[in-house]
Amino acid sequence: MGLSIGLDTAVKALRAHQLAVDVASHNIANAQSPGFSRQRVLLRPVGLDGSDHFTRDALLGRAGFGVNAKDVNRIRDVFLDFQARQSMGAKSQFGATSAALSQAELIFNDPSDDGMSKLLAKFWAGWQDVVNDPESAAARTTIVQATQTLTSRLQRARSELTTQRDDLNSQVNAIGDRINAAASELAAVNFQIKQVELSGDMANDLRDRRDVLLDELSAIGQVSYAEQGDKTVTVYLGNHELVTGNTVRTVQSVADSNNTGMNKLIFAIDGADVTTTSGELRGVLNARDRDIPGLIGKLDTLAAGLIGSVNSLHVVGYGTDNPPSTGLVFFTGKDASDIALNQALATNPQAIAAASGPNLPGDGSNALAIANLQLAPNMIGGFAAANLVPGEQIAPGLLTGLLAGAGSISSISGSYTGGQAGSWAITDDGLGNLSAVFTPTGGAPQAPVLATVVAGGTDVTLVPGLTLQIGPLLSAGTQTIDVAPAGSPVVATGITLGPTLTPGAYFITANGPNGLDLRFGSATGPVVGTATLGSLGTGAGVISFMSGLNTVATITVNNPNATPYSAAQQQADLTVAGNNTLQVEKAPEPYYADIVSILGADVAGAKGLADSSELMTSHLDGLRQSVSGVNLDEEMTNLNASQHAYNAAARVITTIDDMLDTLINRTGVTR
Amino acid sequence: MTNIRVTDHWRVIKQTEYLNAVSGRLDKIQEQLSTGRQIQRASDDPAGARLALQYRDTIDFEAQMRRNLDNGTAFMNITESTLDSSTEALQRLRELTVQAANSTLAQEERDGIAKEVDQLIQHLAQLGNATFGDAYIFSGHKTTTPAFQVTGNPPTAVTFQGDTGQRLHRISRQDTVAVNVDGQNTFGSMFTDLIALRDNLNAGAPPTTIQASIGTIDSALDRVILARAGVGARLNRFEASQATSQQTDINLQQLRSTIEDVDLPSAITKLQGQQNALQAALGAIGRTANLTLMDFMR
Repeated sequence: MGLSIGLDTAVKALRAHQLAVDVASHNIANAQSPGFSRQRVLLRPVGLDGSDHFTRDALLGRAGFGVNAKDVNRIRDVFLDFQARQSMGAKSQFGATSAALSQAELIFNDPSDDGMSKLLAKFWAGWQDVVNDPESAAARTTIVQATQTLTSRLQRARSELTTQRDDLNSQVNAIGDRINAAASELAAVNFQIKQVELSGDMANDLRDRRDVLLDELSAIGQVSYAEQGDKTVTVYLGNHELVTGNTVRTVQSVADSNNTGMNKLIFAIDGADVTTTSGELRGVLNARDRDIPGLIGKLDTLAAGLIGSVNSLHVVGYGTDNPPSTGLVFFTGKDASDIALNQALATNPQAIAAASGPNLPGDGSNALAIANLQLAPNMIGGFAAANLVPGEQIAPGLLTGLLAGAGSISSISGSYTGGQAGSWAITDDGLGNLSAVFTPTGGAPQAPVLATVVAGGTDVTLVPGLTLQIGPLLSAGTQTIDVAPAGSPVVATGITLGPTLTPGAYFITANGPNGLDLRFGSATGPVVGTATLGSLGTGAGVISFMSGLNTVATITVNNPNATPYSAAQQQADLTVAGNNTLQVEKAPEPYYADIVSILGADVAGAKGLADSSELMTSHLDGLRQSVSGVNLDEEMTNLNASQHAYNAAARVITTIDDMLDTLINRTGVTR
Repeated sequence: MTNIRVTDHWRVIKQTEYLNAVSGRLDKIQEQLSTGRQIQRASDDPAGARLALQYRDTIDFEAQMRRNLDNGTAFMNITESTLDSSTEALQRLRELTVQAANSTLAQEERDGIAKEVDQLIQHLAQLGNATFGDAYIFSGHKTTTPAFQVTGNPPTAVTFQGDTGQRLHRISRQDTVAVNVDGQNTFGSMFTDLIALRDNLNAGAPPTTIQASIGTIDSALDRVILARAGVGARLNRFEASQATSQQTDINLQQLRSTIEDVDLPSAITKLQGQQNALQAALGAIGRTANLTLMDFMR
């Protein structure tokens, strides 16, 4: 071992500390670069055998061979990355939903002095003014204007919601593009990392870039990933692989055959749907396919309720014009997309049917009946405004012209007055006008009866007296239905429907041996509550439909018999046609107030979730930064330390130089 | 983690976050103060918004009820004054009839009374055709047709052309009230009797025949006074309903305001607090931002 080794050791030190200065400089340069992880030179002493693996024995009594700057490592915690990416998914999901809902909230603009509730109030007030002065042209002009303002506002709100839905759909397409861009870059970076690290180097900055891309993808969708032996990362989106090595499975946006007018993302290679339970994509899809359509549906229900109920009364009234107009609908259209004032009334307000009979200019009773709808508990979701209750009889022709095309007849049965034998011939002109002709056996056909089918799925039953009975419909909380077919009947004495139920028809279907499902819209519609049946004793008992911990509906029954009312019998009784339908109805103002306040609660909820996941993300980002971020003071310290070490190593060289000088120039035989 | 390592990039991010948070809260309070409302959107307070909408609906409804009451009151005021005038006319007719039933009266004097009766018949027919705006108030539902048609001059017949239709006004959530009176029932039959009286006077009928007319005039007077009393009672009821509705309005406006409107003292205090917070945050950033190790190294 000679002095040249000491020189060699010192040169190694110079190189190592110069590298440390370079690394500190790189760190300082990237102090504000997003996603950058600080780097450290890994300094290791070099052992006697030239490796950094040396034994105690080999070192005994000897110096080593200096320092080796083995690697430049980045300082990063992969577990923190994993946690942070999970909360990023939640943050962007709720952020996307709350942004969409907040925008929808602005469309309704309530409570305010010029929101839709005010326009509804003006509409009803307009009718009251017509009641006060049926002769007055001014009052009629006022109701025409109030109606036009209301209908155009409803149409505008509906079209704004539709536009918003289309915008969300475009966002889905854009998200597809972003997934492809990030995945493609990630695959390229994968390849580079593999190449660099194959030769034993550390691809620190490439890894930082890859982490940024993984962050991006995690914010978009539900992403899982794993680093492979070749240092590439395999990425899954949902359950489908997105990136393997340098291969990308690109996604593309195609028309969704199950969702008219909307697109869905699929993987180009096999056509599999892109599925995700979190991330911005989930948030956008939730808003596009659940929240906005829900609002559109409610707006349509409101409009359809107005159209149906006002029209049903308006068609039977008379105008003050000459000859008196009658049989006119007040609204044209079917829902919020096309609700409008009948043009015939807009041009001739005298034709507005304020009177109940012809040539009665001072009669505002029909207008009063229409104005009373404001107070009717069953306008929205009810079948027209006729306040239909079980067994109610409606005179033939009363509903003529109403709700053209709104429904079809599912079944008709009945008998003629006096129990005469004969046959019924029923024809439907397709416009909702139903003609029923009874022909007694061996007799001449009776005059046709005009009636109207009120809604789809509801049985219209012809009963003695040539009147029409509209199906077994129940208003909330008040009706009595006979639930046992024979013997001492068990009677339902009360039905209470929860406030969360949307107006409309509900069906009771069997669920297993001892259960009932309450379904919305039809017998195959979504389940909104389930009842678990048990045997009920004599007297009052309650059957409750639950959704989680909430009670959505209860039916109170009274069993007068000495024997218990078995679960099987309850199921049979409540699912039999005639007993299996509940009708939830609502007054217009509370219904509208519900739309607004439920939307408000949804917005507040989504914002709250977005805020809390934002907090979580921020916290985890802080931890990540705490591990990986650059602290300038720290780098200055390192720089300083490296500088000193460098200077010291240089001094070692000078010292050895002196020693060599002594050895070579001042010693020896020639002196 | 006991001792968190703070980095420069993170400090920048956090400082921006703090500033955004503070100015966001400041902005919210300023919005509340400038609009005077604490619920800008339903999401600010969904349950409050639900109540506010309910109160607003009721306030609007009550306002309409008061409009209905005003309109009905105006209609009935006209009815009332018309019935008052009719009462006076009938009382004058009664006086004249009593006078004419006196057997000492000469035919010329009876002729004079007949002339006045004639005038009063026309006057009463005119009163029966009183209008409210474009509407004949005693015509039932046929308000564009005069209630009474007078045939001939001097009148030989006065025929009722209206019907018994009721002019209903909604005055509260529960009640609808008719504001008109039945023209036929109030005036109808009196005209035939009065025309007969006039003809009897002209024809010099015996005092007993004239005497009999006093009874018919009395019953006509009774009907008019009864109708007048009915209108008076309804007017009182309308007045009471007005007062109730106004009180309801005041109560609801108060409730609505409690929910919707901003509480000024508390909002201003909060504004002050947020301003202080912003100032403190800015000050802290200003002091720490320049602090680095480099300042202490040569």
